[in-house]
Amino acid sequence: MISSNISQPLVTGQKQYGDITRELLENTEGRPPLWWLIAFGLGCLALAFGGWAFYMSLSQGLGTWGLTNSVGWGWDIINFVWWIGIGHAGTAFTIFFLVFRQKWAGSINRSAEAMTVFAVMCAGLFPLIHMGRPWLAFFILPYPNTRLLWVNFNSPLFWDVLAISTYLIMSVTLWYLGMVPDLATIRDRTKNKFKRTIYGIFSLGWNGSLYAYNRYETLLKLLGGLAAPLVISVHTIVALDFAISVLPGWHATILPPYFFVGAIFSGFAMVLTIMILMRKAFNISDYITWKHLDNIALVLKYGSLVIGLAYGIELFIAWYSGVDYEMYTFFNARVSGSFSTAFWIMVSCNAIVPQIFWFRKARQSIVVLFIVSILINVGMWFERFVILISSLAEDFLPSSWTSYQPTIVDIGIFVGTFGLFTVGMLLFIKFIPIIAINEVKPISKEGQRVTIKNEKA
Amino acid sequence: MNSKHTIGVFDDEDKLVKAIKYLKSKHANIKDVFGPSTNHELIKSLTTESRLPYLAVLVAAATIAATFAFLYYTSVIDYPLRYGGKPLFSFPPMVVILFLVTILVTGGVSVMLFLGRTQLFPGKKAWIPDPRVSDDRFYLVMDQNFNPEEIIRWLREFGALEIIETDIEKSSIS
Repeated sequence: MISSNISQPLVTGQKQYGDITRELLENTEGRPPLWWLIAFGLGCLALAFGGWAFYMSLSQGLGTWGLTNSVGWGWDIINFVWWIGIGHAGTAFTIFFLVFRQKWAGSINRSAEAMTVFAVMCAGLFPLIHMGRPWLAFFILPYPNTRLLWVNFNSPLFWDVLAISTYLIMSVTLWYLGMVPDLATIRDRTKNKFKRTIYGIFSLGWNGSLYAYNRYETLLKLLGGLAAPLVISVHTIVALDFAISVLPGWHATILPPYFFVGAIFSGFAMVLTIMILMRKAFNISDYITWKHLDNIALVLKYGSLVIGLAYGIELFIAWYSGVDYEMYTFFNARVSGSFSTAFWIMVSCNAIVPQIFWFRKARQSIVVLFIVSILINVGMWFERFVILISSLAEDFLPSSWTSYQPTIVDIGIFVGTFGLFTVGMLLFIKFIPIIAINEVKPISKEGQRVTIKNEKA
Repeated sequence: MNSKHTIGVFDDEDKLVKAIKYLKSKHANIKDVFGPSTNHELIKSLTTESRLPYLAVLVAAATIAATFAFLYYTSVIDYPLRYGGKPLFSFPPMVVILFLVTILVTGGVSVMLFLGRTQLFPGKKAWIPDPRVSDDRFYLVMDQNFNPEEIIRWLREFGALEIIETDIEKSSIS
């Protein structure tokens, strides 16, 4: 058999449709394995820690956090930006698949969308708690309050509320609609009456009619098309939260594209981590093939180059501007001062380490892929730390300079969001097919054609 | 009301596409095809382009107009408050809000239109020709307005694994 680098089958193993249904429903039909129960237990523990931290924040106030007069945005906003960045990859995969017709994304987009939904939920929690009185969160919605005053429509913070709400709603809609035919498959296969009722409700009476499929495909493409600019706008608006202020290190026009690329970069890294774990746990290497992992690694390689370029441009513009404060923030505070450790972790993990993916051998080693994906997410967290804390802690007035230390409550909320993410993903794995069965079936058919063509050649 | 239908069972989209094209050329009345997945060719063989995107454009235009009117009313008429010396009617910040609200409303209304037109709703009892419809079989459902024996012969020629003649309530597949 001739293997071609250009056209390799995206689903291997010469599978028939029946095999695909059976293999991809294994996780929803059997009892949960031991590792699932252990991970679920750990996730619940993390969630409980987060619940305690949340309670402390509400009952004793934000004084329990490590914030100071100078550093008014701390771990909460770092983690908010980090999670929202991770969330970008799911929608990016959906856009790749639906709009750019990148069929390799078909096996990944279901899990990536799940990741998006839970990551955006985790992200949304931080600004909510940061308000101090989350039960008054409705104040930020555009309604005339008791003083007949409207919200400030010129504020990026309001745009943020709107962008993240829209993003969450659109992500959940795309994710849910994408799984309707698969929920119908579970409904039709299960012998358990209760399960059939529940999946029957959520599958909306789907019966696989071609007319319904026609409208369904059109709707998904339409939503994918709408989501494409939305993804760009969400992190652009998050960047504007910083760029519209006057602080050195924040007040930069490069921030929106820089944040957007960073978001896609960290999101793809998290997708890679999750795909490697799922591939191992569920034996789905025929669906998540080396080609899929290779493609993600290539995106990370180019993402890393763009990120590296952005870091360089930031330094260059600080020097080129001739502004002392900018020079101080970048060259003293970040490159060689109080935040240099975090800065160099950021540069190493994001701009240097992923360059290993220039080597095919590295892209074909699970260990290397996994380690680099984790390092990128560590690096991206430090990127947000450097941007936020270095600019706030050492700004124009040396008299107000301070250091920043997170408290156990800050850490608890962050750990709690990991718990929420883990529990959410594990529930998804248990009840919903992790790969879109109805999308993979036609892709497998094409794979068979490619294999036959290669054999003939 | 029930009526007699012929159902051809296939396990391959390529054979099914050929069968649909041939049956259509013979003016046989194909009611619908049910299957676990689809591809572009199969959709094109039986259905016409959905008009959903055109409706979505109309919804988007209406949303932009309504949101602009709302923002103008709140910022200039109802509570004219100056923020940072900016003019009351400041268009650039509005662009962001117009953009996001348009995406949200257009997406939401499109989903509603899809669900309404396809008659999908939570708890709807689905009519399916067979549970394998969501697994590995395609079901070509035809009205018996034609000579049933001829239809059966054609379906066999195009590789139908099985041919079923059955009564189906009209509303369930229309």
